[in-house]
Amino acid sequence: MKRYLLSWLALVALATLSLFVSGTSIALSLAIAAVKAAIVAAFFMHLWGSRPVHRIVFITAVCFIVLLILGVVADVGTRDIAGPYVP
Amino acid sequence: MWLFLGSESMLFAGLLALFAAYRISYPIAFHAAAQHANVLLGTINTYVLLTSSLTVALGLHAVELGKRRTAVAWLVVSIALGTTFDVLKIVEYAQHIGEGFSWGLYFSSTEVPVPGVFYFTLYYALTGLHALHVTGGMVVLIWLALKTRRGDFTPESHVAFENGALYWHLVDLVWIFLWPILYLMK
Repeated sequence: MKRYLLSWLALVALATLSLFVSGTSIALSLAIAAVKAAIVAAFFMHLWGSRPVHRIVFITAVCFIVLLILGVVADVGTRDIAGPYVP
Repeated sequence: MWLFLGSESMLFAGLLALFAAYRISYPIAFHAAAQHANVLLGTINTYVLLTSSLTVALGLHAVELGKRRTAVAWLVVSIALGTTFDVLKIVEYAQHIGEGFSWGLYFSSTEVPVPGVFYFTLYYALTGLHALHVTGGMVVLIWLALKTRRGDFTPESHVAFENGALYWHLVDLVWIFLWPILYLMK
């Protein structure tokens, strides 16, 4: 019970923090989101201390998402030509 | 259940990758379009969903302790929070559509450069898909509340409750990323 309330307090605090730092850095906003996601997964979803197979599935999913997005960003970000619209 | 949640997250990952690609290609238009996002409603919804994750977790905790009525009460609070989320989302959509920020060919605003339409089309795709998940999650929560009231769950056996709660937390996880990406990055 206490663990859930503390997790919620941390989530609310982090959400408020990301409001204040919004507009400074995309990486910082995403880092805060990642910490919030970790709190939800670890405590609300009981990944902390759960069966290893659950953690393997979770970590695999996270790796695939990161690979997918990094791959797209690396490709599009290093092109010289923009799309059909110039602005 | 975790495998299902993993495959669900890929659904959103694909759209987010597309969003990243367009954002890199059209930074000026995306910056201009994001100025029109309703940060207030998006932020209220963030707190609403974070809180609903807490109430669902407390509901599961009550089931584990054998407190049926407490569990049902927490589920009812969670369903109310989910409804609040969807209602605010509809208000937000109505406001955007009224201002001409619709999707695809229906986009009629001249306030942002043309590729801004990509921002709004993906905004509707991402938040619409997410809102569908919220709605689906609420149907599951209602079903769980009815089953809990009927006494179907015991402290030893409540797998359906656990899985329903996990699904709800996934919906929260997705929003944790959608909120900074769509509302805060300018």
